Amino acid sequence: MKRKLWLAVCTLVVFGTLAASAEIDPNKEIMPGVKRGDTIIVEDPSPAIINPDSFNVWTVWAGGNGGVSNGLQQLGMDTLWYIDPDSGLKHGTEKDNTWHNSLASERPIYNKDFTKMTAKLKKGIYWSDGVEFTAADVKYTVETLAQNPNALFGSAFKIQVKSVETPDNYTVVFNLTEPNSRFHRNFTVRWNACWIMPKHVVEKALKTPTDFMAYNFNPPVSIGSYVLKDYDKHGTWTLWQRRDDWQRTTIADFGKPAPKFAMYMSDIPNDKKVIEQTNHDLDMIHEVTPEGMISLAKNKWETNWFQGFPYGHPDPTLLAILPNNAKEPFNNPDVRWALTLSLDMTKLAMASYKGAVTLSPMQYPPTGTSRKYYFDPMQAWLKDFTLDTGKYGKIKPYDTTVAQKIATSARAQLGDAVPKDATKITDMLGQGWWKYDPKAASSLLEKNGFTQKDGKWYKPNGEQFKISLLNWGPDRPTLQRLATMVAELWTEFGIETTAIWSQDNGTNYNLGQYDVNMGWNIETWGGNPDLSYFTDSMHSKYYTPIGQFHNGRNQIRYKSAELDKIIDQINVTDFNDTAANAKLGIEFLKLTTKDMPEIPLMSYNVFSSQDNTYWTGYPNFGNPYTDPVTNWANGRTIFTQLKQMLPPK
Amino acid sequence: MSIRDIFGSSFFKYLMQRLGQCVLVIFIGITITFIIPRLAPTNPVEQKINQMMTGPANIHPEAIQAFRESMNDLYGLKGTMWQQYVNFWGRFLRGDLGPSLFSYPHPVTDLIWRSMPWTIGLLLTTSILSWIIGNILGGLAGYYPEKRWTKWVELTANCMRPIPYYIFAFILLIIFCFLIPIFPTSGAYAPGVKEGWNLAFFASVLYHLFLPALSLVLTSIGAWLLGMRSLVSNIVSEDYVQYAEVGGVDKNTILNKYVMKNALLPQITGLGMSLGGIFSGALITEVVFGIPGIGNLSYRAITNFDYSLIMGVSIFSIVGVSVSVLVVDLLYPLFDPRVRLN
Repeated sequence: MKRKLWLAVCTLVVFGTLAASAEIDPNKEIMPGVKRGDTIIVEDPSPAIINPDSFNVWTVWAGGNGGVSNGLQQLGMDTLWYIDPDSGLKHGTEKDNTWHNSLASERPIYNKDFTKMTAKLKKGIYWSDGVEFTAADVKYTVETLAQNPNALFGSAFKIQVKSVETPDNYTVVFNLTEPNSRFHRNFTVRWNACWIMPKHVVEKALKTPTDFMAYNFNPPVSIGSYVLKDYDKHGTWTLWQRRDDWQRTTIADFGKPAPKFAMYMSDIPNDKKVIEQTNHDLDMIHEVTPEGMISLAKNKWETNWFQGFPYGHPDPTLLAILPNNAKEPFNNPDVRWALTLSLDMTKLAMASYKGAVTLSPMQYPPTGTSRKYYFDPMQAWLKDFTLDTGKYGKIKPYDTTVAQKIATSARAQLGDAVPKDATKITDMLGQGWWKYDPKAASSLLEKNGFTQKDGKWYKPNGEQFKISLLNWGPDRPTLQRLATMVAELWTEFGIETTAIWSQDNGTNYNLGQYDVNMGWNIETWGGNPDLSYFTDSMHSKYYTPIGQFHNGRNQIRYKSAELDKIIDQINVTDFNDTAANAKLGIEFLKLTTKDMPEIPLMSYNVFSSQDNTYWTGYPNFGNPYTDPVTNWANGRTIFTQLKQMLPPK
Repeated sequence: MSIRDIFGSSFFKYLMQRLGQCVLVIFIGITITFIIPRLAPTNPVEQKINQMMTGPANIHPEAIQAFRESMNDLYGLKGTMWQQYVNFWGRFLRGDLGPSLFSYPHPVTDLIWRSMPWTIGLLLTTSILSWIIGNILGGLAGYYPEKRWTKWVELTANCMRPIPYYIFAFILLIIFCFLIPIFPTSGAYAPGVKEGWNLAFFASVLYHLFLPALSLVLTSIGAWLLGMRSLVSNIVSEDYVQYAEVGGVDKNTILNKYVMKNALLPQITGLGMSLGGIFSGALITEVVFGIPGIGNLSYRAITNFDYSLIMGVSIFSIVGVSVSVLVVDLLYPLFDPRVRLN
């Protein structure tokens, strides 16, 4: 009898505990006065912030390591303009939803020769301490940063700005040192931009402008719709509270942010993200591994970009194989094409993302508005594109069946989660990539004097053709798997390839002491077809010989007079002339497809997952009003679209 | 006793000898710590530049060059390695380990002092607890090998010992944070609780650190237990123990006064060493449970190649281990009369 009673008590305790744990309680206080039902809990993908007391978002050491996307840049900061990486939200009378005049009241105004840019500012925007935002804040920001060249944007302003004038409280005139049609980029958010600082706060805190680098800006006076409420002294969470006067911030253009509180949690390993979201303690996951995503997607309360396979949001970032164009034999376009045609994209897609990829055959990420401006218009040209491989003859390497092949392979693993409809598959996985054609690849190598012996390729000088492939390592497991599969495929083709992950990869890449790297150097606005965001970096004037550190530009050490012409033309074309910019973009894509300076693969797909228990209304493929990832400053509009599901009593 | 007697005493010679060894070990250790990161091909300035370039900071190429030079200066990486070494000792002797490279201009010592209490609190408690429990159980298992429960204890210890502590940490995490989520997955205390001498803070810390502490205690008990058991098994066959047993001395007295006391000597050395190791943290446990201790700090220092912080943490560890060994050496004569005699 005693034994039975004991068993019953044990069972009750275990089930009671389990029941308590599964509890969804909007009235639960996550800290005194902060109820769960009023709070959105968001992942900040940064590691724990080493110096959490610092909110100086303008230094390169902001927060030590992290400390920028803990809500600071999403909720507390603002600047003149935003470009949405996806379709954007309808606001005001603006026709282009992707463009938002944030602190500015209209688009940038340039003079004829682009040596002067005028920004008209909104009236009635207030800092969280009640002081009105004016042109003096913008002028002070630029002048303070220019005096601190080690600060973010400091060097850009020091070199690009001759003087700043404020003819009235709501107008700023930037006199530039040389013609620059894209100067506004400094104040246009794509992930971040130069945030405006409150003159009345910073000026008072600094004895001299150069004290700025050691300045903590704590507590941060906010110009966003939230204000800092509390933060962890060990850098793992930051709590923000919606401002009572949120209408006096620029977010009011989109509506009221629904959550009263927003808590950003950092330093969460993959397994814990899955645990926390399953326990309903983490509403928005920035990024999880494909395996974690597949596991979370089984829950009814979970949503992701595609509401199922292929789950991930394609970031406007192009994953690519980056050959060292200054090094033999990678300086030869035929070799780069041979390397491309010896890759089997189906295998790459399955090895890296379990098939959940968004392919790009061109040097542009397939996301945001890219399909409208580039991918659809380029299809006919791509299908027609001919490559002279030499002995093997002329081939048309573009393959529009790749996405279907990937879907078939993915279906074998994920079953009916993978759609069968051809249009859906194209929308999700991409319109095509390059054929896997080892014979054409061999012919291209032979055309250039390479020889094959015992299944291995030898260079024209008789040396064996070997490749070291740098990659990110375990920090980005999908990329590491991708690199491993690339190495496997090239080795199988006869080019002995070793995927290398080492801490000195970055240093070697900067010095040009490498063969091929795996990563990205093409990032776009997403919502706007202007290419200047990355093309300027590819200009040959930034070419540095091997052995010298590059200066942050032209990392792949590529030289092309034709490309320089396109870049120079972009630089004198008005940013607002979308048609002209898109036309130049097409020229860029055709040229780089022929020359293949880097091998485009796919967009950087981010497996973001959302729990709809407490909040719902997140962006997705069907309603792509913005990027669902949590660390982009552009994501600030998400909170205005959310609906509270369980209001606390 | 005159000053002359003190200086001429064997204990003074013993003390000076051990002190000299300790200083030498610290000097060599720190020198090696200084050299190793600088021999690595990774350049922290380039790491920082790469990190900046992955974000759209729009840094002008000319400015990158200027930035590179000024960062080398700020990070103390200018000049030959010898010059850097001399500068380093100059700063070190003034108690300045320089700024953290990735949390510039935050001083390394501040970061370490902030993390240290968490690691010391966790590891000191778990080391002492596991030492006490392990030795008591080991002593009993060695002295009463025929008893059923001691056989079970020994078997359990043998099974647990090979399990790495981080695997155990993951198992606990899955059981008590996912399957039966009654403990928090990470952090040292709950949001909203203010750090300080208050009950709410201590209760929250105890709750948050229970699982990591349990993972460390359970996995280290085994080693102490098996070590003690083996020592006791040897000692029980000694003549003086058998003589005491034949003489009818109480079993508990034999165990406590004759057996355990003698067996404890090497265990005390082991405890000293493990306490010294506290200063390097329990890296994986701290990372898995998100504890803001030295292990977590080291992990971030290494992944960011933060020279100054790596050195700072290593120096604390080297000094910690050396001083602990010194203290054990100095205390040893109290436990072992043979050392006192020599």
